[in-house]
Amino acid sequence: MDAQRLKHSFDRVARQGDSVAMFFYSDLFVRNPHLRDMFPIGMSGQRDKLLRALGHIVAQVDDLPALVPFLRQLGRDHRRFGIVAEHYPHVGASLLATLRHFTGDDWTDDVESDWNAAYSLVAKVMLEAADEDALSRPAWWNGQVVAVERRRFDIAVLRVQPDRPLPYLPGQSVALEVPSRLRHWRYYSMANAPRPDHTVDFHVRLVDGGPVSPVLVRGTEAGDRVRMGAPVGTLTLDEESPRDVLLAAGSTGLAPLKAILEQISRRPVPPRVHLFFGARTRDGLYDLEHLTKLACEFRWLTVVPAVSDEPGGHDLSAVFRSGDVEYGNLSDVVAGHGPWDGHDAYVCGPSAMVGHTVEQLTRLGVARDRIRLETFTEAQR
Amino acid sequence: MSALNPPNLPVVSEGSRLTPGELRSVVFARAALGRRGYDEEQVRNFLAHVERELVLIYNDKAALADEVNRLRAQVAQGGAPGVMAPEDAHFQAVRILSQAQQTADLYVADAERYTRELAHEARLHREAILADAKGRAEHMLEDAHRKAAEVADAAVRAAPPPPARPVPLPDDERRAMEREIAYLRTYSDVYRTHLRSYLEALLRNVDEWESSERASLPGRSPD
Repeated sequence: MDAQRLKHSFDRVARQGDSVAMFFYSDLFVRNPHLRDMFPIGMSGQRDKLLRALGHIVAQVDDLPALVPFLRQLGRDHRRFGIVAEHYPHVGASLLATLRHFTGDDWTDDVESDWNAAYSLVAKVMLEAADEDALSRPAWWNGQVVAVERRRFDIAVLRVQPDRPLPYLPGQSVALEVPSRLRHWRYYSMANAPRPDHTVDFHVRLVDGGPVSPVLVRGTEAGDRVRMGAPVGTLTLDEESPRDVLLAAGSTGLAPLKAILEQISRRPVPPRVHLFFGARTRDGLYDLEHLTKLACEFRWLTVVPAVSDEPGGHDLSAVFRSGDVEYGNLSDVVAGHGPWDGHDAYVCGPSAMVGHTVEQLTRLGVARDRIRLETFTEAQR
Repeated sequence: MSALNPPNLPVVSEGSRLTPGELRSVVFARAALGRRGYDEEQVRNFLAHVERELVLIYNDKAALADEVNRLRAQVAQGGAPGVMAPEDAHFQAVRILSQAQQTADLYVADAERYTRELAHEARLHREAILADAKGRAEHMLEDAHRKAAEVADAAVRAAPPPPARPVPLPDDERRAMEREIAYLRTYSDVYRTHLRSYLEALLRNVDEWESSERASLPGRSPD
């Protein structure tokens, strides 16, 4: 396989953008109509994903140590979609047909054999990882919603009972699918450390116009069913570290950090922990009540709530408020409480908030490798 | 023809085709008296008929072979109008499916945009209601304060001379207290009235909201 020739060939095809992915899926479905049901009705997101994944694979095709972990995760991820070994040759055939179609007269036997070799490798690595994964885990977990608590008109906390133990590390997330939006998977973090009864909590914020979150927040009741993929994510507690801990959560980015907090609380001697919880407005601090209770219970925990879009003055409505919140962007509030050197920082929330917080922390001398983070966009893979 | 002729000799008129059934059921008449075998003329006629049939069959076969070759060539060349090579049919199917998918994607995107806009408007509406409520609350407090202050001042001005008391308060202090009492009484009065009417309005709002939400969700519809 000639990596350079392959990259060159892909660049030429990829320039034609969405129509490439469109052709690929149509070709796949014309040849294998039974595969259509494995995909959502709207396919634009799916096509983007395909092109991104292909681009990623081709870019790293000559760097196997980097490519293999990506492919292995891709293979494991595909288990929950019900993709099995016999689907891979169909995909390969349609991929080759697509590339041939968009390459036109420049399609040569050499190029074809490059692509064949590349696809065989990709399929082999993905399948091996999927098969290995299948030895220890199901392709998905079925879950039943056992409690729904609507904290605001657009924020809900759901408790789900999986049909079998769901092992995960606090801070990780699972892809979630609801029966009324089949084939739409969205990632949500478990908001608790593993419990003896295996139940997990999810903090869901309604995304306007989104397919899944409105159903979870406004249309889900106890007894409803969900499906969950295997837990993933690297925003997990560094158990070896003796350092104090800074947790910075924006909105429902609180969920993974709360799980980490719970894990810390189970240590015999917890480190000092500062938890910053930010939202645009006060009513966005949907879990402050519980956090305040935790802060009273644990001497090692300090909770600092902050709101960014409300004036900090002493207007009359301040009379109706209880407790103290700080005003300003979460990143500034966090920075104002520094210095944070000597801390491990865990940051989760909207990408702008995460970006600014990481920026502020590194400016204040926190080494980048002491900061673990996840953004919503990343979680929405 | 002799009377011994059987009735089922094939009719061999020109243009008619010989069938296998006819062939099987042929029975020739015995030869004329004094001769052995079948009637020679009948046999000769019949052989001639079979020969014609064979010629026809070979001709048909050749014509069909030509036709097959012609069609094969046509298919290989990419087809005549109305006849499509399998590869073209596939591309056509891919094209049609792509168009259908594009339409579906468009509808999904439109629906998404529509709900996003609706939700955005609802959010703005909600914020406006909250801002309005806050404004009203502030207005209520101010109004109560202003009225109470007026009443308090009036009370002090109109106060009758104090009756004798066991321990009379100093005049200033008494007046200040009366003022304070009148202020507080009026303040709470005005505030209560405002609050009651506002809460009633809010309740009506909530009722409307509830009934409209119920109307928009018949049963537990799939969202």
